[in-house]
Amino acid sequence: MGFMILLLTGFVLTFTAPWIRRRLRKWSLPVFLLYPLAALALLWNISETIQKQSAIAVSLPWVPSLGVNLSLRIDGLGWLFGLLISGIGALVIVYAHGYLHHHPQENRFYGFLFLFMTAMLGVVWSEDIFLLFVFWELTSISSFLLIGLEHPEEKARKAALQALLVTAGGGLALLAGLVGLTLITGSSNLSVMNTLNGKIVQSELYLPVLLLILAGAFTKSAQFPFHFWLPGAMAAPTPVSAYLHSATMVKAGVYLLARLTPALGGTPQWHTLLTLFGLATLLAGAFLALGQTDLKRLLAYTTVASLGTMVFLIGLGDSLAIKSAITLILAHALYKGALFFVAGGIDHSAHTRDLNRLGGLAGTMPFTAFAAVLAGLSMLGLPPALGFISKELVYEAALESASGGNALIALIALSGVTAVGIWVAFLPFWKKPDEQTARGHGEEITLWLPPVLLGLISLGLGLLPGIASKALVQPAVEAVLLKSTPVKLALWHGFTPMLALSGLTLAIGTVLALNRMRFQPAVQTILQTLAPISPERGYERGLTGLKHFAALQTNFLQNGYFRRYLMVTILSGILLVGIVLLQSDSLPWTSFTPPRFYEVILVGVILTGVFSVTRTSSRMVAAALLGMMGFTIALIYLLYSAPDLAMVQFTIETLSVILFVLVIYRLPQFTRTRGGPPAVLDVVVSVAAGVLVTVLVLTLSAVPHDSLVTSFYAENSLKLAQGRNVVNVILVDFRGFDTLGEITVLALAGIGVFALLKLSGKTEAIRTSSQEETK
Amino acid sequence: MTLSDFLTLLPAIVLLAWGVIMLVVDLFLPTNRKGITPLLSGIGAAAGLGVNFALTGYSQTGFNGMVVLDGFASFTNTLLLISSLFAIMLSYDYMRRMNIERSECCALMLISTAGMMIMVQAYDLIVLFLALELFSIPLYVMSGLVRGKISSEEAALKYFLLGAFSSAFLLYGVAFLYGATMHTNLAGIVSAIQGGAVQTVFLMLGVALLLVGLAFKLAVVPFHSWAPDVYQGAPTPVTGWMSVSVKIAALAALLRVFVIAFPSVAAQISPVLGVLAALTMIVGNVLALVQTDIKRLLAYSSIASAGYLLMAFVPYGQGEVASDSIAAGLFYMIGYLFASFAAWAVVAAVEKEDGKGLQIADYAGLARRHPWLAVAMMIAMVSYIGVPPTLGFWGKFYLFRTALEGGLVWLALIGLLTSLFSAYYYLRVVVVMFMQPGETEARREVWVNLLAVVSAGATLLLAFIPWQLLDLASTAFLRFP
Repeated sequence: MGFMILLLTGFVLTFTAPWIRRRLRKWSLPVFLLYPLAALALLWNISETIQKQSAIAVSLPWVPSLGVNLSLRIDGLGWLFGLLISGIGALVIVYAHGYLHHHPQENRFYGFLFLFMTAMLGVVWSEDIFLLFVFWELTSISSFLLIGLEHPEEKARKAALQALLVTAGGGLALLAGLVGLTLITGSSNLSVMNTLNGKIVQSELYLPVLLLILAGAFTKSAQFPFHFWLPGAMAAPTPVSAYLHSATMVKAGVYLLARLTPALGGTPQWHTLLTLFGLATLLAGAFLALGQTDLKRLLAYTTVASLGTMVFLIGLGDSLAIKSAITLILAHALYKGALFFVAGGIDHSAHTRDLNRLGGLAGTMPFTAFAAVLAGLSMLGLPPALGFISKELVYEAALESASGGNALIALIALSGVTAVGIWVAFLPFWKKPDEQTARGHGEEITLWLPPVLLGLISLGLGLLPGIASKALVQPAVEAVLLKSTPVKLALWHGFTPMLALSGLTLAIGTVLALNRMRFQPAVQTILQTLAPISPERGYERGLTGLKHFAALQTNFLQNGYFRRYLMVTILSGILLVGIVLLQSDSLPWTSFTPPRFYEVILVGVILTGVFSVTRTSSRMVAAALLGMMGFTIALIYLLYSAPDLAMVQFTIETLSVILFVLVIYRLPQFTRTRGGPPAVLDVVVSVAAGVLVTVLVLTLSAVPHDSLVTSFYAENSLKLAQGRNVVNVILVDFRGFDTLGEITVLALAGIGVFALLKLSGKTEAIRTSSQEETK
Repeated sequence: MTLSDFLTLLPAIVLLAWGVIMLVVDLFLPTNRKGITPLLSGIGAAAGLGVNFALTGYSQTGFNGMVVLDGFASFTNTLLLISSLFAIMLSYDYMRRMNIERSECCALMLISTAGMMIMVQAYDLIVLFLALELFSIPLYVMSGLVRGKISSEEAALKYFLLGAFSSAFLLYGVAFLYGATMHTNLAGIVSAIQGGAVQTVFLMLGVALLLVGLAFKLAVVPFHSWAPDVYQGAPTPVTGWMSVSVKIAALAALLRVFVIAFPSVAAQISPVLGVLAALTMIVGNVLALVQTDIKRLLAYSSIASAGYLLMAFVPYGQGEVASDSIAAGLFYMIGYLFASFAAWAVVAAVEKEDGKGLQIADYAGLARRHPWLAVAMMIAMVSYIGVPPTLGFWGKFYLFRTALEGGLVWLALIGLLTSLFSAYYYLRVVVVMFMQPGETEARREVWVNLLAVVSAGATLLLAFIPWQLLDLASTAFLRFP
């Protein structure tokens, strides 16, 4: 229950933090720290349960009719992630107090930060996958808001939008995948799903569900080819980069994959896709990193590489691989977070992050330099840091996997990462300054304490591998694999192939690092030549292409011309009705009598009239032709023995022709509006409409129709209404209300016409007077 | 005709009578005191809402089975009345500011709302048609309310002509249905179909034509072409109200008529519906990408919403999914109502008297000058995309779930992909508001700001307790004959 309250408090803090910050100014630091510390305390409190491989679960109904519950379940994996999130979160708060001091958006920053922290804790503690999804999307949104904090530049805005589009888009795919998973398993509880591997794998929905979920996880964890948003996201303030874009949020995808391993894993598809994408990301990240000179971009690309390694390891899926993946997650969060802090400190002090302009800062920033060395040891994989153990494990897992190629790829990529590690952690401090070098000014305790702490923890866990393995890694590994898996980490394994590989990595990395000036331009040239086919360019092309397509479609569908709208509407209506007609039985042609010759003549007259009306250029002729058609139709009525209808038709036709003649001289000049090719289309549309209506009429007339009402009126007019004239009875009695209504309508129309006549006179008068005035 | 007959239609009658009284009252109001009409109309709508609440829980038919009052009708009526209340709030200041303060606006709004409510309650196709005309004709007038502004007049004319066409389609369909079943009453149609004495061709034709008529009102592609032009040309409060209320009424009529009367033709109609839904989602979302005018953007977004609604409606013929179809549609509408009014309130506040302030670029820097409005707009946009924690998320979630439940994986995937497109254009608005520097001034007026904050707050906060609303939506049962 405490966890539930904690998350709720986080949401409250989201909205109140800016206000607290404004009121308390610098005293807000201890208040803000209470939140992550409370989370840590709660986690500490349940550590014994976690060590016993059991889990804490709470559940409240939320949307029962959709089967969505507020269920949390904290097991070893969630526990480890929870520690990282709240621990590093506390340090980020401390760091931000120094780093963002006097930043115009400082107050707002804390609100967003708490939103993120809560959402991230929610992601790793959720038991219900839809709850997990809600938190997942919240992390994307808060990341967008945090990246957007530095937004005077167009580039930063673009980066924020790009990051959100890629991750939130992936999130939508994830949602579809999760819904699919629920449909297969009939439950939205992760622990239930994880027991139903057989059912899921055999389902025909397995592959689509897997692909959708992977799309979600890969976009979030910046896997190739979706990796491009992460370096773009470096536009965010450094505390944000340290927290979201290296230590926690980008690991959400990895977390999800680990979490769903029992449910989805163990199949060739899972294995192939994950290792393939993981290795591709590892290589791409390492190579791209070598071309960078900006500290944060260097770190971002190595983060990409590490995330690739994690996905690769989870794809391997055996207990050794999972063990090394978890260790890597832990080690990476510790050293990468610290290095980001260091980079931010350098930026804050020297006002640049360009490697070429940094050097000799060890003198002015001794504590930061110390932190960089600690974190650097871990990143390079040197004993006794935790990074060393993790790298050994990665090699071991890669070697154990069937193909030796894996280990080779890992070797190449990790050498690159090592080189970058040397640049980031050592170059700015120990390189001899030259004339280009920016001068640094001192350091603040808030900026060096967090990285030093992280570095020390990294070192401590390396020195005491027993604690790391027993307390942190083992529960998480067992939570992933759902079986008891003893984990023993050690610094020294003896002389093993892994050690040799580690040594080799270090050697190649050092050589690369020392020759930066020589080969970096070459890498940059290669990257530039590759730029046209890079995924980022693809994303941009897709976006512009989509816009072009949209513009084209607008010109076609929504050009503002009424006739186009009308045409689309009519054509679609015809199409819809036509389809229905085609689907149903064909007309009973045989039951129609052959047309008599005078019918043919009459129809011919009508058709001639129709054709001439469209061709004529005189209004008078058009009116006459219309009249001709009307009279011919009346003749058809006569032929089919409906004299009353024919009479009405005759009267109306005569009247309308007379009316027309009356007004014809007051009408504006007759203009032929259009012709040429568009007219052909008009002809097609009108012919289609005509044919359709004809077929409809034929269909109707092919069916004998019994009138329900005729006999009723005939029988009942005397009985019920005491009237012998049936028509009269219908008008004034049976349908008296109708008649009343008709009279009312006529009266209203009369009033309307009267008002219009009066009004039109008035406006004309007004218009002429105003015209005179203007003259 | 008994008292109970009138009771069935009482909310609509209250509004209708109030609207007519308003027209008369207006004659006696001096020109400088016209501002009182929105207040009076508001009271009328509130009275209608009260009556509607009092009648919630009843289930009865009236006027010889021509109209019906059931949970479904009560629920939709509530939405319609809230929507008209919101629209009145929106128009109070706007109409005066734009110098189009005419009292017929509010009266027409009430009358039109009454028409929508009758349409929702219609149990007979003739009543359905009459109600459709009753709510449409005031709409044609209201779109052209800005006399002298070409775009407004053009919008009214286009809407009227196309609307007349679609009404003809609908009426033709009703005629065919009568030919097929000898009934226009839903109960009669159902018993005729169950009795088996039905002309199948006519039935299919009737259903298809009916669908065209309703699809037009719902702005489903390819019968949508009026929507962007009309939404852009009409006065902003009218547009906002129209985009919500017409959609609710048309959807409700579609749900009622098809679920009750035509589940038997679902096998033939569902594929057609599926294609229409897919087209609507694609065209609506893709066209929205290139819009620079906020009103047009929202117009396309409302077309896209119609597509999502239709998507969940496609499997209406599968017995157990049908109830989810209804509940999902109604539930989505709640979120759509609040998010829309939040967005339209901001649009109305930012719009200037000379017709400026409607470009998306004009929203630059809104977050700095008017943080509340910007946040309200952001919540609306996030809800439209369907991202938690907003009502829009739950709405879309339920719609997608229903579609998947009905086995329409392809349709759900199209919906998903187009949602992704939509994220781009919605977020662009957010980016412009929050990140681009600018000095956007907005109107500081109590009612509009209140509306923006209340709607956005509801969109956000109700998302934390969606089960309450969901229960309401899923217990809004249809009365079957």
